Amino acid sequence: MAMTTAEQIPRERSSADRPRRGGPRGRSRRTRGPGFSRSLYLFALPALVLYVIFFAVPTAQAVQYALTDWDGFSATYDNVGLDNFKTIATGDDLFRNATSNSLKFLLVVVVFQTLFALVLAILLARNSRGSVLLRALYFFPTILSSVSVAFVWKFVYDPNFGLINQTLDAVGLEGLQSAFLGDSAQAIYWAAATQVWFHAGQMMVIFIAGLQQIPRELYEAAEVDGASRWAQFRHVTWPMIAPATAIVMAYTTIQSFKAFDLIIGLGGNPPKPALDILSTRIYGSFANSEFGYAAAESVVFMIIIAVLTWLQRRVVRKVQAEG
Amino acid sequence: MRVQLTRRMILLVYATLIVVPLLVVFFGTFKTTRQLFDAPFGLPPSLTVENYRVILAEHDIGTAFLNSTVVVGLSVPLTLFLASLAAYAVSRIPGWKGWAIFGFLVLGLAVPAQANMIPQYVLFDSLGLLNSRLGLVLINIVVTLPVAVFILTGFMKTLPREIYEAASIDGAGPWRVYRSVVIPLSLPSIAATAIFLFVIHWNDLLYPLLFIQEPDKKTLPLALLDFTGQHLTNYPLLFTGVVVSSVPILVAYLFLQRWFVAGMTAGSVKG
Amino acid sequence: MSNTHPGMNRRRALQLFGVAGLGTVAAACAGPGSTASGGGSKVEGGDIGGELSFAHWRAEDKAVLDKIIKDFLAANKGVSIRQDISPSTDYQATALQRVKDAAIGDVFTALRGPQFSDMVKAGLFADLTNESVVDNYIPELIADGKGGGKQLGLPYQLVFLIPLANRDLLDKHGFSELPLSWDGFLDMCDKLKSKGITPMAFPGADAGNAGQLINGMVMNNAPSDDMFTKIESGEYKATDDWYLKTLEQYAQLRPYVQPNAAGTAHEPAQQIFASEQAALLTTGSYDAASVRALDADFAMDVFTPITVAKNEMKYEGCHNTTFILGVNTATDNQATALAFVEHLSDPEVAGTYANGTAQHVTIDGVEYDDRDLKAIEPWLSKNTLLAPRYQFTDLDIAAAVENAAIEVIGGTSPEQAAEEAQRIVDQRRK
Repeated sequence: MAMTTAEQIPRERSSADRPRRGGPRGRSRRTRGPGFSRSLYLFALPALVLYVIFFAVPTAQAVQYALTDWDGFSATYDNVGLDNFKTIATGDDLFRNATSNSLKFLLVVVVFQTLFALVLAILLARNSRGSVLLRALYFFPTILSSVSVAFVWKFVYDPNFGLINQTLDAVGLEGLQSAFLGDSAQAIYWAAATQVWFHAGQMMVIFIAGLQQIPRELYEAAEVDGASRWAQFRHVTWPMIAPATAIVMAYTTIQSFKAFDLIIGLGGNPPKPALDILSTRIYGSFANSEFGYAAAESVVFMIIIAVLTWLQRRVVRKVQAEG
Repeated sequence: MRVQLTRRMILLVYATLIVVPLLVVFFGTFKTTRQLFDAPFGLPPSLTVENYRVILAEHDIGTAFLNSTVVVGLSVPLTLFLASLAAYAVSRIPGWKGWAIFGFLVLGLAVPAQANMIPQYVLFDSLGLLNSRLGLVLINIVVTLPVAVFILTGFMKTLPREIYEAASIDGAGPWRVYRSVVIPLSLPSIAATAIFLFVIHWNDLLYPLLFIQEPDKKTLPLALLDFTGQHLTNYPLLFTGVVVSSVPILVAYLFLQRWFVAGMTAGSVKG
Repeated sequence: MSNTHPGMNRRRALQLFGVAGLGTVAAACAGPGSTASGGGSKVEGGDIGGELSFAHWRAEDKAVLDKIIKDFLAANKGVSIRQDISPSTDYQATALQRVKDAAIGDVFTALRGPQFSDMVKAGLFADLTNESVVDNYIPELIADGKGGGKQLGLPYQLVFLIPLANRDLLDKHGFSELPLSWDGFLDMCDKLKSKGITPMAFPGADAGNAGQLINGMVMNNAPSDDMFTKIESGEYKATDDWYLKTLEQYAQLRPYVQPNAAGTAHEPAQQIFASEQAALLTTGSYDAASVRALDADFAMDVFTPITVAKNEMKYEGCHNTTFILGVNTATDNQATALAFVEHLSDPEVAGTYANGTAQHVTIDGVEYDDRDLKAIEPWLSKNTLLAPRYQFTDLDIAAAVENAAIEVIGGTSPEQAAEEAQRIVDQRRK
């Protein structure tokens, strides 16, 4: 009943001529493919026009503003060269704090979401009735809006009336009660836990698709060799789901950086420093009439995303190559 | 045996983690604030629909619902249309040119919304597209074009080369190939992408927050956020808003589950 | 080197991308601040009529304002008025951009503090100095609506930004006379706590509301009444003795707030107070209506800890004048906008607003019949300071200084909190 299409996704990845990137190079090479005609450019034109006017140009403008001290409303502004970037790099505790929170958030989400998703996927990889039902359930939070999820979890974490502290109280573990989002040292991790709850099911489904690609014969062979369950995982499952892992980690990274709605919902607007991440910090600078500075912050934000994505690809490849 | 038991335990615990908060929210919609705070886990003392009545009667959630439907109903098909045209072109244009167009479009994925939202705001303002559903449709299209092109190109590239050869021998022009070969063959991927876009557009908060002021133009997530201003004290009413605004997507999920899964994972095809 | 907006660059960029026929679009793109001029010009005359947008953040006032608008429309045929409301945090963040071109907000409101000063800078307020409507207001209460010697905005609401008190509960435990010294206050907290009552419900997870307590905490400690202006200008520091002392007093309050106060949101704090588990709610008089909505039926008052000895007390509390009404310079319907402001400023209409929303107003001759407004009315004649926290004009500096206090309640040491705050102040000062 469910999940069949998910299986199609990695199938093409495992085909022999898998392109290394999503680019259109793949098969067309140097020769013009059959049916090529110049009018093909016209097909790309409507999308390009809209994208240029309403996306690319505003983005370029943002970069341009990053070199100014524009406050967002005055008729004039001064060019300040790279001053904004200098301030970001050397003298802005708020930005540094937000960067550090973003990275903590990212790290926790990447590690735990990937781990949970993988464990659940292994437990539910077989297509039984119960598995299918549970998959549907675990997947469900993904389709809710961030605002809704934030409302729900604000209530879960509430120290006085919330679900966790009330539960701890009921089972006599008052000692474990916490202020959760109110505890500056922990707040960002609790926000990360919400993100894991939100999206682990989605990542699980990607892993399941990957697991179902693995030929049964490999396990049978391993069993004949008398390999333990762990050895089977280590030498069959893990290397075989490498592509799925790469997808999950990349996707998780992008999602983590887009957690704006969730943080605003959980921590208010603007959130306090303990919950401030890069996207909320940038929004805060806008709200504080520091438009040029905010633009500079967003440029740095883009660079951080690019670098992290690149690093992560390398690490994942390396780890899995060794696996 | 022990392995089976551990497996069941893990699955059960995780299921509880998902179900309990959601049930508390659902039960909460039938409670007063006091009742919710006094016994959050408890069953509602009675199945009063007062909160639903307030939401539907006093908050004109119907209008917000209609706005969301109109906006999403236009922005999803239009994004798909534009993106599929571009994806087709990109997957057929050989050499660096196709690659460049694709790269340029997909670069948008790395740009955080906070980076260009204010220039966009100024632009939409000057074109009279603020406070307009059309403006929301437009921004939805523009913002999700990169991801849609990304997904669809991934699929279209896997279509066997022979198809194009056959078509071009028949003398079909690109438009006919697109319409009668590429689109029918890509339908599963287009459907999956449609769901993917539907969830993003339906739940989007940032752009309505930025662009919409007039109460009768607000979409569901924005209307939901407004409850926090109007009902600071009223978790049950907030929860009711959560439930009401999630119903359409829940119903869609129950009936189109497999497409949801395909769609929500499609975004990751070529990580 | 000063630039005007680079509209040309955008056009060049478009050409660069080789997209033809878009010149019109480029030309239509308004640059930054294209209308930011003419601030403080007089209200233009004209006929009463047409559509008006009234932009504000008080969603909870919508019904009462609808009624008030209806009366205005009945007397002024051919006018229609729309309320454009967004939640206050969002209003704080984006109202300026939206109101700038009068896309919304022919009549608009400003929060006292950074938003008002930015809106004045952006030239959004028409000059009301010579309009007769100004005479309806109590002069000292609209002083903060001035800019460059002109009456630009009219602060409409008068609120007391000091804790709400449960009078019945305090009476019952022998505190019908409230202590007017720090030792007396701590003593009261001690006694309340020993009887199982939380002295203060503190919404520590909600920075905006948790920050209100600071008004009363600094009003008698600081060497001057413009202490936060001076922190922002660099004359004072968060590490100065007076602020450090304030933070140390916050540390003394730790045992007297509810458990895990730093994680408590606004609603649960209200609930703790409404259900008589706490004697004080550390927000302000604006919460009275919400607390009543939670079925509270006790007598309420406002009251703040006095941080000094009784004979050193300068002020008994803090008030604030906000919801600053303005007529938009960018609107082409200023006459009607002014007429609506005049309507709102009528003592009888203002009375409807006040009693319907449980907020005091700055207008002379208003009769309060709401139970809580009446209870708090004596404060109108007490010696109160205009709430210091809205002296800040920079949101980041304000947040840093206020968060220091919240962090101290959560367990951070006063010295450390003060140093961290001052570092951010130094970085943000231009």
